[in-house]
Amino acid sequence: MAVAAPEVAESRGPSSRARGGSGGPRYPGWLALPAVFWYLLFFLGPLGIMASYSFGEISGFSDVKFAWNLENYRYLFDGPLYTDVFKKTLVMATFGTLATLVIGFPFAYYLARHAKHKTLLLLLVIVPFWTSFLIRTYSFLIILDPEFPVSRALRPLGFPEKFELLYTQKAIYIGVVYNYLPLMVLPLYAALERMDWSLVDAAQDLGDSGLRAFRRITLPLVIPGVLAGSLLVFIPLTGEFLIPEILGGGKTLFAGNLIAQQFLEARDWPFGSAIAMVVVGSLTVALLIYARAVGRQEQYG
Amino acid sequence: MGRRLLGAHAVLVYAFLYAPIVVVVALAFNGGRQVLYWEGFSTRWFGEALRDDTITEPLRTSVIIGLGNAVIACLLGTMLALALARMRAWVRVPIDALAYMTLVTPEIVFGISALIFFVQAGLWVGVESPLGIWTILIAHVVFNASVVALIVRARFVGMGQALEEAAYDLGSGPLSTFRQVTLPRLAPAILAGGLLAFTFSFDDFITSFFVSGAGTTTLPLRIFSSLRFGISPAINATAAMILGLTLLAIVVAYVVLRRSDDGRQGTVIVHQV
Amino acid sequence: MSDELNSILTRPVDRKGFIAAGALGALMAAGGGRFLADAEAAELRAQLSRTLYYYNWADYVNPKTYGEFTKKTGVKVKKDFYASNEVLQAKLKAGARGYDLAVPTGYMVKILAAEKLLEPIDWSKLPTARRNLSPKFKSLPFDPRDKWSVPKDWGTTGFAYRKDLVKERPTSWKQFFDLMKTKYSKKVTLLDGSPEVIGSIAKMLGYSYSTGDRGELDKVREFLLDLKPHVHSIDSTTYKNKLVRGTAVMGMAWNGDGAFVASKKPAEYVIPSEGGELWVDSYVIPKGARNRDAAHAWINFAYTPRINALETSYTYYGSPLKRELLKKPLARAIYNNPDVFPPDRLLRKLEANNVSAAATRLRERIWTEFKAS
Repeated sequence: MAVAAPEVAESRGPSSRARGGSGGPRYPGWLALPAVFWYLLFFLGPLGIMASYSFGEISGFSDVKFAWNLENYRYLFDGPLYTDVFKKTLVMATFGTLATLVIGFPFAYYLARHAKHKTLLLLLVIVPFWTSFLIRTYSFLIILDPEFPVSRALRPLGFPEKFELLYTQKAIYIGVVYNYLPLMVLPLYAALERMDWSLVDAAQDLGDSGLRAFRRITLPLVIPGVLAGSLLVFIPLTGEFLIPEILGGGKTLFAGNLIAQQFLEARDWPFGSAIAMVVVGSLTVALLIYARAVGRQEQYG
Repeated sequence: MGRRLLGAHAVLVYAFLYAPIVVVVALAFNGGRQVLYWEGFSTRWFGEALRDDTITEPLRTSVIIGLGNAVIACLLGTMLALALARMRAWVRVPIDALAYMTLVTPEIVFGISALIFFVQAGLWVGVESPLGIWTILIAHVVFNASVVALIVRARFVGMGQALEEAAYDLGSGPLSTFRQVTLPRLAPAILAGGLLAFTFSFDDFITSFFVSGAGTTTLPLRIFSSLRFGISPAINATAAMILGLTLLAIVVAYVVLRRSDDGRQGTVIVHQV
Repeated sequence: MSDELNSILTRPVDRKGFIAAGALGALMAAGGGRFLADAEAAELRAQLSRTLYYYNWADYVNPKTYGEFTKKTGVKVKKDFYASNEVLQAKLKAGARGYDLAVPTGYMVKILAAEKLLEPIDWSKLPTARRNLSPKFKSLPFDPRDKWSVPKDWGTTGFAYRKDLVKERPTSWKQFFDLMKTKYSKKVTLLDGSPEVIGSIAKMLGYSYSTGDRGELDKVREFLLDLKPHVHSIDSTTYKNKLVRGTAVMGMAWNGDGAFVASKKPAEYVIPSEGGELWVDSYVIPKGARNRDAAHAWINFAYTPRINALETSYTYYGSPLKRELLKKPLARAIYNNPDVFPPDRLLRKLEANNVSAAATRLRERIWTEFKAS
């Protein structure tokens, strides 16, 4: 059976101390090498190019002149135009993550604890995402349209005839939750699945309310999954621009749209790079701080 | 009572997840091109899609890249997760930062800079046109390895070491401990990660656009570029076929596995301490 | 005389070559451009390499044309697609090579040429094109010496509206925007591009479409920000579907899309009285193209009237060929459609997009403000 409480893991016998550190077989560091090598070459290489562009300036239609100054960064923070876009993006990402969590958690819980045929049901969650993102999102254009046959059919039952959902903020959120749900559900499920539910049952038998048992037993174990899911949703969400464009009617500008716009329409690669560096830099720092605060748990891993 | 509520919620979520799918499938059978009006049942779009090599070729390319990338990402990501989980902080933090950055970087930035990188690298190595399936795959793995690592790590961290310690104490070497104790318990996370990796790759559009070479198109690229007229019914038919096939494959695999699973239950219990 | 024929006739003469040359000579002498064309084609087929990498907008070529081309030349066409000029430019600029043919809009041709991302056009390989190109489309402002591009089709930017849902008959930008701010608020779409939107408003205010003047742009900016709450959506890809469905009743539009809507529902496409944009999409050969011969062959092929008619009836965009050539192969309805072939007096009011690099920065900032508001 799967191990449940962290208390068990803390037991440090002489054998674990002999191996040093946090105990337990430590997997050799070189296991990380392939991935690190991949990152260094195929990620830092490209990113380095972008970083150097951010210190350049646009010359002519789209050439990059390396002026080695911080002009782009100054321009970015000159006035509230661009920082407002960042703020709006963070708000959208936060709400999107919360919404996915609120909807995804009970779902993952049910799947992990009560469902039969778990793997099958889990796969059924993923299957819709093997149709193309664009097809799914465009289908929402149809579903959210007041003229959608199902909506039309429900009208005699009181379904409103004219409602404005498409090309609004609400539509964006619906699209976001839809497209990011599996990103939340899968890590949650992976974390919940290994839980020893008999512990929860036992606690309840001993008088704990369902909620209390949840809080004391399930929640602490699930936190890594919640974090993983939230990260997987929040981070890409900050760069999202297709959903706001398609479902939001292109009327809102988020960081992702802004960057795309600089690279494409304005052809101002240095400026676009500067914006990207700010986004990447600030999010990475935030993540590291966050990971550190949570890091204590990981030490016992 | 709680269980019933949760169950109802789950059903609603599935309904939500499959609503657009139902629309897509319905449109695939819609005789006409109109999107909000039913014009009779027809299967002509399926035939058209199958005959259209600007659809079938990108589909094949996407599947190949997706599978390849899932395998590589799972390998790299799992190894990374295992190594990281028990590393000392000063080694772990920079690598963590690197992994996070791959997730944080907006796709358009990574796409364009990866393109520049590949072109320059190609010139350096003497290859004039390095772009193609491989560059798409490499670029996808950058992101997906981190996804897998994140999921596997979350599971690994919460797993607790008691079982592994016990196996160690009983004299099991690291490799067999891994094989018999750790791996089976990590399997769901690796599977979840692999599924996500395949899905992201299969669905990826922006990065793929920039690092693809002449003559290499993936399915999302094909779809996006034809959006001026709305999603064509042939595209919907293609999506419906993909869905049908994968659902079929899953159900079949599930039935087959269940049968062999029942036999294996006993051995699993014995292996666990 | 084409290069290919030339090379046959100047090759060292072996017996077969001599006979071939003699036969060709006889054929030429016997007369008939048709014989000549067939011989040219056969030689072309033998000399061209197998594949043409064509980078294009999707749904921009009649599917039948590919097959016809392959039949005639033996060259297979591999198609890749992009969805905007900008994204094509970004890719070429970042170093992507291997495409033999692409079709950017005029202003982008100028940019690509300035960035040395194009190969020059060899007009000696385009006899049919030279014959059939209408003089109106020679020496266009974005390529005055016709060095980098050959026109593919052209169109206008104006607006379209549903005649049955909009009882007023707007004929100017002013009316269009007034109606948008009042009666049809939230039911009007705009194109998703700063050149078009800023340019149209500039025209309405009496400025040049491509203006970079700060004072003028300030006025445009004010007007634009005022407009934002009344926008249904900012969309260049699916707005024509919205017009057909009636979720939007008016929209800034390109003439081909306008004609499309009018073919499905009662609608009208308008070139506003203040003026609008005239754009030309042109064939270019990106730098690093490996099969320039095939690219030229395609361009030449596309200038035969029959093929060009196929194209026009598929895209609904204007053809750069001499108009009389299209009379026979093109359906009468399309030939006489003023949306596809606007009369000259309307065209006079139009300007081509010619925004300078400096003006782009200013305009893009306004556009960002507009979208973010």
